[in-house]
Amino acid sequence: MNEDLKKTLLNPIFKGNPITVLVLGICSSLAVTVQLKGAFVMALSVIIVTGLSSFVVSLLRNSIPNRVRIIVQLVVVALMVILVDQVLKAYAYAIDKQLSVYIGLIITNCIVMGRIEAFALGNKPIPSLLDGLANGAGYGMILIIVAFFRELLGSGTLFGLRVLPASYVPNNLVILPPMALIILGCIVWVQRSIQKDLQEK
Amino acid sequence: MNTNSNVYTIVYTTLIVVVAAAILSIAAMALKPKQQANIKAETISQMLTAAGFSSKEDLAKLGNDKVLAMYSQNIKTAFLIDAEGNKTGELETEVSGIELQDNLKLENKNIQNGNPSLPVYVFEKDGQDINVIPCYGAGLWGPIWGYLAFNADCTEILGAYFDHDSETPGLGAKIKDEPSFREQFKGKKLNFDNPDNPFDIVKGGAPADNLSAIDAITGATMTCNGLDAAIDTWAKAYMPFLQKKAAAAAGDDCCEDGCCEGHDHDHDHGHDHAHHHHDHEHNHQEG
Repeated sequence: MNEDLKKTLLNPIFKGNPITVLVLGICSSLAVTVQLKGAFVMALSVIIVTGLSSFVVSLLRNSIPNRVRIIVQLVVVALMVILVDQVLKAYAYAIDKQLSVYIGLIITNCIVMGRIEAFALGNKPIPSLLDGLANGAGYGMILIIVAFFRELLGSGTLFGLRVLPASYVPNNLVILPPMALIILGCIVWVQRSIQKDLQEK
Repeated sequence: MNTNSNVYTIVYTTLIVVVAAAILSIAAMALKPKQQANIKAETISQMLTAAGFSSKEDLAKLGNDKVLAMYSQNIKTAFLIDAEGNKTGELETEVSGIELQDNLKLENKNIQNGNPSLPVYVFEKDGQDINVIPCYGAGLWGPIWGYLAFNADCTEILGAYFDHDSETPGLGAKIKDEPSFREQFKGKKLNFDNPDNPFDIVKGGAPADNLSAIDAITGATMTCNGLDAAIDTWAKAYMPFLQKKAAAAAGDDCCEDGCCEGHDHDHDHGHDHAHHHHDHEHNHQEG
C-alpha cells in the first residue's frame, strides 16, 4: 500500500508527467509562462483544483449515476475553479488579472477530467487526493521550468527581481508564445533521452 | 439502491447543483468586500496612470491603501455632469470614503438614453489641472474601457489607459499591454468640429498631420474599432463640457491661474452661454 501511494505521488512528476508524457494542458502552459509569478500561481491553482476535484469525486464515486457522471464531475470541477478564481480576485487581484481567462479555463484542462475519469472514479478518496495533487504538481513543475527560462532570457529577471545585469538586452522572441513550445520541446527531448522507454520506435 | 433510475438521477443532480450553488454564494458574499476594494484601487490606478502620475506596474506594487492615498493627495475635485455638461453633484475624494462613478456599463446605456451622469476627475500636477474622463464600449469578446487625461482646457490629450475583459492575448489585449499604443494618445486632441466622430483609430496608419487619429493595432481590427467607437460615444457625451472648458480658456488668458476651473460662480450663470462664458466671469478683469 505504501509502495502504491509512493508511486501515485511520484509517477506524475517525472515518468508519467501530464505535460511532457501525456501531452495534456499544453495551451495554458504556453500562455501563462512569461513570468514566474504567474506560472507559480497558475501551478498552485491547478494543484488545488486537481487535488480537491479528485477528492470530492472519489467521495461521491459510488453514488454518482453513471449516465450523468461527466456532468457531475464538471459541476465539481467548475465549483473548485470558481472558488479558486474568487479567492484570487480577493487576495491576488493583479495576478488574477494577468492570468485572466486561463484560471477559468482550468475547467477545460484535460488533466483535471483525465485524472478524475482514470483514477478518482475507481479509488479511495485519500489516494485520489494525492493523485490529483501529484498530477497538478507535475504540470506545475513544467510550467515553472518553462517560465524560469522565459523570464530569465525574456526580461532578465526572476520573480520580478533583476538577476541579469542591466546591460543584458532582453530577447523578445522568448516572450512570445512560440518560444514556450520550443522550450517545452527541449524538456521533452531531455526527458526522453534520460528515459529511453518513452522513445517511439 | 439503483443509481441508474430516472428519479435517482434527477434528485441526485438537483442536490449536487443546489449544494454547489450554495457554496459559491457563500464564497462570493464573503469575498465581495475584499474584491470590491481591489477593483476600486484598480480603477484609481488606471486613472493615475492615464494622468501620468505613476505607472500601472508601480502602483500595483504599492498596494491598495497607498493607491487610495495617492489619489486623495493629487485629486483636486471630482464631480458628475449631465448631458449638457452641467455639474450635478460632487464625488467624495477624502481617502476614507472615496466615491467613484465606475459603473461605466450603466452610464454607457444612459448615454444612449440621453440621460447620463458622467464623472469628471480633476487632478492637479505641478500647478496644472488634469481632467480625467472614462470611456466604455464593446471589444471583440467583451467590454473594453479606459481613461483619457486632458490638459486644463481639455484641448490636448495628456495620456490614456485602457483595459479589457477578455480580448485576445497578444492581439486585442495590446490596447492594455502595449505601452507604445497608449503613448500615441499623448499630444493628440479631440476634433471638436466633428462631435459625432471626434477621434479615429486608423487601420493601416493615421496620417501624421491628423491630430485626432492614431494607428490601429495589427491583427486587432475589431478591438480597435470597438475602442474607436467607445471613445467617440463618450467624447460626444462629454462634448458640451469639454467645449465649455476650451471656450473658457480661449476667451480667458488667466486660465492657468485657475479662474476657469469651475468656481461656483461659473456654474450659476456660465453654462448656458458657453460662448459668452468669459463675459460673466469676474476674474476676467483681473487677468
